[in-house]
Amino acid sequence: MDALIEMSGLSKHYRMGAVQVTALHDVELQVQRGGFVALCGPSGSGKSTLLNVCGLIDAHDRGRFLFEGREVKGQTPAQLTRWRRDAIGFVFQGFNLIPVMTAFENVEYPLLLNDTPAAQRRARVREMLERVGLAGQAGHRPDELSGGQRQRVAIARALIKAPLLVVADEPTANLDSATAAQVIDLMHALAQESGTTFLIATHDERMTRRCERVVHLVDGMLQPQAAQPPALSGVRAGGGR
Amino acid sequence: MKWLPLAWRNVRRNRRRSLITILLACTGTAALLLASGFALSTYEALREMSARQIGHVVVAHREYFHNDEDAPLSHGLGDSQTVMSDLLADPRVATVVPRLNYSGLISNGDSSAIFLGTGVDPEGEFRINGALTPVEQGRALSTHPAAQGDPEVMLARELARKLKAGVGDTLTLLTTTVDGALNGIDVQVVGIYGTGTPELDERALLTDVATAQRLLRTDKVSTLAVYLYDRDGAPAFAAERARAWPDRALRTWEDLASFYAKVRALYDRIFGVLGIIIVVMVFFAVTNTMSMSVTERTREIGTLAALGTSPGRIVANFATESGIIGLLGALAGMALAGGVTLLLHLFPVMMPPPPGRTEGYPLLFYFSPAVYGTVAVIIIAAAVLAALLAARRGVGKPIVEALSHV
Repeated sequence: MDALIEMSGLSKHYRMGAVQVTALHDVELQVQRGGFVALCGPSGSGKSTLLNVCGLIDAHDRGRFLFEGREVKGQTPAQLTRWRRDAIGFVFQGFNLIPVMTAFENVEYPLLLNDTPAAQRRARVREMLERVGLAGQAGHRPDELSGGQRQRVAIARALIKAPLLVVADEPTANLDSATAAQVIDLMHALAQESGTTFLIATHDERMTRRCERVVHLVDGMLQPQAAQPPALSGVRAGGGR
Repeated sequence: MKWLPLAWRNVRRNRRRSLITILLACTGTAALLLASGFALSTYEALREMSARQIGHVVVAHREYFHNDEDAPLSHGLGDSQTVMSDLLADPRVATVVPRLNYSGLISNGDSSAIFLGTGVDPEGEFRINGALTPVEQGRALSTHPAAQGDPEVMLARELARKLKAGVGDTLTLLTTTVDGALNGIDVQVVGIYGTGTPELDERALLTDVATAQRLLRTDKVSTLAVYLYDRDGAPAFAAERARAWPDRALRTWEDLASFYAKVRALYDRIFGVLGIIIVVMVFFAVTNTMSMSVTERTREIGTLAALGTSPGRIVANFATESGIIGLLGALAGMALAGGVTLLLHLFPVMMPPPPGRTEGYPLLFYFSPAVYGTVAVIIIAAAVLAALLAARRGVGKPIVEALSHV
């Protein structure tokens, strides 16, 4: 399998007033296509920043970042928008569903952006909602759904366009443990079925246990792994290229 | 799902705020329509009044409009009958009315006053201008005056009061003839009328043309007022005749209606500024609403952008919402203005006399589909523009920042 994400010497800084904060420092990371990878670390370690950079919604300052083998730096905002539209799905901690849209329409939205024909759109959305167990709630607005149902809608929305990568930022943080377990199972099963690469920032041990590889970040730096189990062969971290 | 239903749902998302903005747009639209309707109604009334009083086209001696006369009727039309016959042969001409302007002294034996007289053809003049010279006492000049007895005169209201003259009284008109001699004639008051203008009410009188010509010892008239079947054809008619008659001067009513031109210039400025203020108010109201909406939905904007929605599409969504608000406001405003216009037609309200006039006038609002359409487009455009500006700021925010907005 070839690498979907290749980062080399990647750094990212923020300016907070007069102080420059290093969010990511000299990150060396490869994520193979089809990987199910967890990003762990304490608050402020740079998990979300790394996730945002991987999701092409934030830019790095230094280093090299190849997505699908193409250099990200130098892409115009319009090119990045198209790239996200075609290749990346997002699952947010707060679900981030569009409140005026039904569950069906929220899932349908990425296909609308891709100009998928209406009949094909409807069939795929119905199929996806069926898959996440929400066929009966298709016409419900987000405020008529439980937290777990909302996150399942968000997962369906992320996967509906069969993206290369799904970035999920603390997808179980706002859910009770039973619902979180269901969501973890669902994400894992869908990842297995679709072959989509998942990159998940999480504190949830149940989630990390299901991941092929857990990447640890501390103060913006990837921590070298003492040992790499066979299941994590899709990921190399800490400059081990 | 399409973009328009989505925009409609977002409009309904904060109903109270949307309703207030729609009401503002409605009020702005109605105010613009009523103001422009009032201006258009005034213009039309003044156009009609001016064209009737002046004539659609006025034919005169070539010097008449340029130089003052050294002696009475030195710039008069000597061949008025020939010109009238020629004009009346034109199928575009409805009628031609001669007028002879003169001045002098009018006396009741005890006191006298300066007058500004007009010799008219009573039949044609009162048929056209009867409504504009309302007879308050007595009657209008006879169309076929008796051969015996004094010639008839109609006095303006204030002139009659000053001379203590009533219907049936005999007065004397004194003036200078075209040869420079003094001449006088006794006239009998048959009617008292109002001109609508205080200054003219103190000086004006009407006699028939023959009486005026007899007094001035001439067969000339000052002007011929030509009335066309189509008032709007006056410029073309005047231009055509001017080419055929290089020794005569022709003017359209619009050339001579200085009062109309001044009122129009004044109203254009007043209502123009008023219109701009109203549009700016609507613009800021919608900007405020959309800015609040954009701020509240910053996280949503971030989500849409992360999902791959282009900034242009996000801005277009907000513009569509604003366009819906503008459209609803414009439709409601049009209905309101239309209702007020209709009500005033059914239940007229009189306005006080404007400056320089003695008569009030009915408050009317002109209904013009073109104006309604234009105002609606302006209001909707202002709303859309406001949304574009507000939403541009929203989509300009970095996605990560937008997603973390609280």
